[in-house]
Amino acid sequence: MNALEIKNLTKSYPGFTLDNLNLTLPNGCILGLIGENGAGKSTTIKLILDMIHKDSGTVTIFGRDNTDNIHLTKEDIGVVLDEVGIPECMTVEQVGKVMRYTFRNWDEGEFVRLVKKLSLPEKKPFKDFSRGMKMKLGIAIALSHHSKLLILDEATSGLDPVVRDEVVEMFSDFTRDENHSILISSHIVSDLEKLCDYVAFLHKGKLLLCEEKDRLLAEYGLIHCTSQQLQTLPQGAVLRQKTNPYGVDAMVFRSAVPSEMAVSPISIEELFVFMVKEAK
Amino acid sequence: MKGLLLKDFYMMKKYCRAYLLVAVVLIVTSLFAEENLFMTFYPCVLCGMIPVNLLAYDERSHWMAFSGTLPYTKAQIVSGKYLIGLLTQLALLLAIGLVHGIHMAMDDSFALQDYAVLMLLMLCVSTIASSVTLPFTFKLGVEKGRIAYYVTMGLVMAAIATVSVIFKYQLQNMIRVELPLVVVALICVCLYALSWYLSIVFYQKREI
Repeated sequence: MNALEIKNLTKSYPGFTLDNLNLTLPNGCILGLIGENGAGKSTTIKLILDMIHKDSGTVTIFGRDNTDNIHLTKEDIGVVLDEVGIPECMTVEQVGKVMRYTFRNWDEGEFVRLVKKLSLPEKKPFKDFSRGMKMKLGIAIALSHHSKLLILDEATSGLDPVVRDEVVEMFSDFTRDENHSILISSHIVSDLEKLCDYVAFLHKGKLLLCEEKDRLLAEYGLIHCTSQQLQTLPQGAVLRQKTNPYGVDAMVFRSAVPSEMAVSPISIEELFVFMVKEAK
Repeated sequence: MKGLLLKDFYMMKKYCRAYLLVAVVLIVTSLFAEENLFMTFYPCVLCGMIPVNLLAYDERSHWMAFSGTLPYTKAQIVSGKYLIGLLTQLALLLAIGLVHGIHMAMDDSFALQDYAVLMLLMLCVSTIASSVTLPFTFKLGVEKGRIAYYVTMGLVMAAIATVSVIFKYQLQNMIRVELPLVVVALICVCLYALSWYLSIVFYQKREI
């Protein structure tokens, strides 16, 4: 069963339309939603959680439509938003007590363990937390009620590299259980590159691509050559190209490029930038 | 739902201490200024502001969005605010009722009917405040909701002050004679229920 299925999802605002989005997140996998600011990542997440109303399309979570008693489905979903959303006066201890009465499967022991692991101060009010500490508390909450699906909206942005690494490690641990899945959105592509099994590129509300990460990396490559050399490539080998004073950088299908021509591996970030620039 | 109430309780403990202090001062002062109904009723008005103020803090801390990710229905989120309002109003009515009851008994002026009138009037004032403000807040957000509240309560307080000045201490008697206060109180309770229902409808349509 898929953890998440989105079909033909559309939502319009003045000046922005999330257009006919189709995404599937299989159980046990991590799907990275990559897009620049304003691409529609947060809108997608809010639509999944039924926090905003869709214009058309369907969202299915664990095989259930998301408009069908979603508050019950949310028992199994851990969410971390860009702004964590804990009241400023509350301490970690108080948050733990509130969550104990919020989630049926709240695991106090796990929460205490995570709070200790993440070195969060128990008595300090949330308003005095750094951005990293706030995110860590959000993550601790999301992981303390035996959730099967994590939905993370820019959860790693604004964190220092050490904390980011720590957090990425925790997400990897989470998906060791094959029933656990993660949908993570970010515009910091390097985090997602480390973590994800699947990547989806969103640009101005449109899905440019949704594919298995390893397949993308195996299928596409980067060549640096002259314009003349580029002309010699078979038709259809070049997907995108960028001319600069030193020659041409081109994104190519590895299989279509003659073996004598050196093809460098392409990173997800490069792939994304190529596709977005082309779409512009 | 318990989680929502507990969270609001923690917030009240932190942010509403000043309200408690003002309410205590006004209740005590009202014992020595019986002709001035403002002292008696203003704590009820303050009490009616608590749910809206809690919503303002929720909005500022992005709790509104976060609560949308938790296993609560929008109806439960709205009901949490109405329940916390109701609980604080009941606690305040109990405190004022107790203080005035003891004061009247010590003064040998305790009259059940007067006492009932006082309590019913306070019930009306405290429920009207929330009834008017909360649907606006759940529909329009805190800022616009707060403007609606201040306009409405300004009008209510001006009306009370005018009536109190014109009829002096005869207000209770006048109401008792000319208006069936129990009916007015019932209308206020119904208004509270209607406001609760409308807030749920508005919040369900609102995108958070």
